[in-house]
Amino acid sequence: MKSTWLEKNTFHYSEFNDLDRLVEEKQRKNLKISLCLPTLNEEKTIAKEILIMKSELMTRYPLLDELVVIDSGSTDKTREIARAYGADVYEATEILPDLEPFKGKGENLWKALYVTKGDIIVYLDADIKNIHHRFAYALLGPLILFDNIKYVKAFYDRPIAIGKSKIRPTGGGRVTELVVRPMFSLFFPELTQILQPLSGEYAGFREIFEAIPFPIGYGVETSMILDIYEKWGLDVIAQVDLDRRIHRNQDTRALGKMAFVILMTFINRKNKLGLIDLKEDLFNEMIQYNLVKNEYKPDIFQIEGHERPPIIEIPAYREKFKK
Amino acid sequence: MDSYLDKLPEFVDTIKSIKETIITNIVLIGQIPAPTFKEKRRTSVFMERLADFHVDECTTDGYRNPIGIVKGTSETKPPIFVVAHLDTIWGTDIDHYYTIKENSITGAGIMDNSIGVGVLVSLPEIFRKLNLRFESDIVLAGVIQSLGKGNLRGIRHLLKTWSTPIRGAVCIESNELGRLNYYADGMTRCEIDCNISTINGWEHKFKPNAILILNEVINQILKLRLPQRPRSRVIIGKMSGGFKHGMIANDARLGFEIQSNSDKMVKSISNNIKDIVEGISHEYEVELKLKTLSNIHAARIKFNHPLVKSTVDVMKKLGLTPISEPSESELSIFLSRKIPAVTLGITRGENYQQTNAMVEIEPMFKGIAQIIGVIMAIDSGVCDEEYLA
Repeated sequence: MKSTWLEKNTFHYSEFNDLDRLVEEKQRKNLKISLCLPTLNEEKTIAKEILIMKSELMTRYPLLDELVVIDSGSTDKTREIARAYGADVYEATEILPDLEPFKGKGENLWKALYVTKGDIIVYLDADIKNIHHRFAYALLGPLILFDNIKYVKAFYDRPIAIGKSKIRPTGGGRVTELVVRPMFSLFFPELTQILQPLSGEYAGFREIFEAIPFPIGYGVETSMILDIYEKWGLDVIAQVDLDRRIHRNQDTRALGKMAFVILMTFINRKNKLGLIDLKEDLFNEMIQYNLVKNEYKPDIFQIEGHERPPIIEIPAYREKFKK
Repeated sequence: MDSYLDKLPEFVDTIKSIKETIITNIVLIGQIPAPTFKEKRRTSVFMERLADFHVDECTTDGYRNPIGIVKGTSETKPPIFVVAHLDTIWGTDIDHYYTIKENSITGAGIMDNSIGVGVLVSLPEIFRKLNLRFESDIVLAGVIQSLGKGNLRGIRHLLKTWSTPIRGAVCIESNELGRLNYYADGMTRCEIDCNISTINGWEHKFKPNAILILNEVINQILKLRLPQRPRSRVIIGKMSGGFKHGMIANDARLGFEIQSNSDKMVKSISNNIKDIVEGISHEYEVELKLKTLSNIHAARIKFNHPLVKSTVDVMKKLGLTPISEPSESELSIFLSRKIPAVTLGITRGENYQQTNAMVEIEPMFKGIAQIIGVIMAIDSGVCDEEYLA
């Protein structure tokens, strides 16, 4: 296993906190940068993310050129709040309306490519409680300063919020450690150097994102890494330590579903790449059990496993971006 | 003075135009837990933010109060202080992450004193946006160890070691817009601990109950005849003790404050309570310990002091009705050092000192304009006349 990557391509956010330099270099390279926040019922955290990013990376340091929220049909006030604080807000279904609509984070990220204008797109989850502008500028740093880097992924120590007002100092990343890392170790040991492959914060050049497919659900992060690795190799990828990220804790059942989708994406990718030979199709149902009145009842979660093709293959996109 | 009074309403809109930056400062600093005596992390971020706004001088004093200085045009005018306390009542295990909606911010400490601190750090940017230069240096100080057992140590140290005269001061509190504090009561904050020995000795045929002992202390305090002039009162504020429902309490603690606009009266009531404690300790044969946690001297400027009058004008110009009560905060330390000062609130809110404290965003911009107005008043010389109290 080539392990020099970890040393060479791993950074700390503090290496990029000279924002004047980043802005200068961005302008010299004539780059446009878009920030995209995919949302579904994030009324508690969305305003904070927009405010901090606008203040620090648009008003004070013109690093971002636009801030876009792509919403999956929130039933709370996510969209109203985001609009009130000046983000460009879209419902995912409004973008490329002629295509069959799907619902999921991957769908939002993929459609963001159509509505944003940036040469670089930064994706941040919208549920970060301790949001800080380093979450964006640190991901942008390697992309702006190093010509060989095309895609940057975040990693952190991940404390999780437990109970009403208490914080547990460490934890989180269970799906990474129990599912993704063992799989990477078995099949792509080089990729184990990516410390948090499931982190929801990453940035990259449009030319990368537009050329890879996007699963519509949880599998998007895993497939993105596999596809970029497969097409361009590990050296175009970098990772940045963003210190701490505090997010909502998810229960084991929810993580089970997440793990199911990730496994499905992973196995399908390997199959597609010819690395394994599946004798029959995978089942698409995750079955969990509930004890109801002394009786075990199945709780079935069905995954369609839809995937968007590389957006460069969509005529409307090619037309809009003259590609 | 009048010329800038007229500008205040338009200041509100200009300040509002950088609301993202102001709220960002509130959030980035306020989300860092800073219980009294553990303000180090918040202090660092406070300094980082000030440095990031290119404040002329950025430093800490010998007590680690973080300070930023915006240089004035005059080399001879004394500085104007703007202060906000950094510490909060919440421990590090409490979730300090804020939720922002269209017109509110919610979270632990937002009302005491994250808004105040965030606005303080935003002042250099607000001055720039309003194109303001002052004759005096403006000293922006986030003071530590203010609350409870901190006993205003941060501000006491800062003023004690500040080597030059100070022209005047504004103390900023998150809450409540419309407050105008210009006098401080004398105050003594005490705790009484009652401990009953858990070993059965010869002296107690029937084991006393620590809670009931303190109840007796309270009863006797309530029997004290307190004068209406000088205005005086004893506030029984905290009580804790016991172990479980079916067991006689071995320990109990009572917290209270004696407040009066006369230091002499505070002293006299304090002596009376000391006698009560000694008497009950003797009669019930229990250990009662009276501890003084903090002291503040009564101090004031008069309502007709030019600083107070100018502040009232500023508030009225912004459509605010000033409401005055005594304040036992940083203000009292300025006043006791004969430095004219007022305490002002920034906005309105609910659930003060609860983890779900909530403030309104919209009134904040008027609250900030009011602070700018008072700084301008001090800079125009309203505190330069003879001290009138």
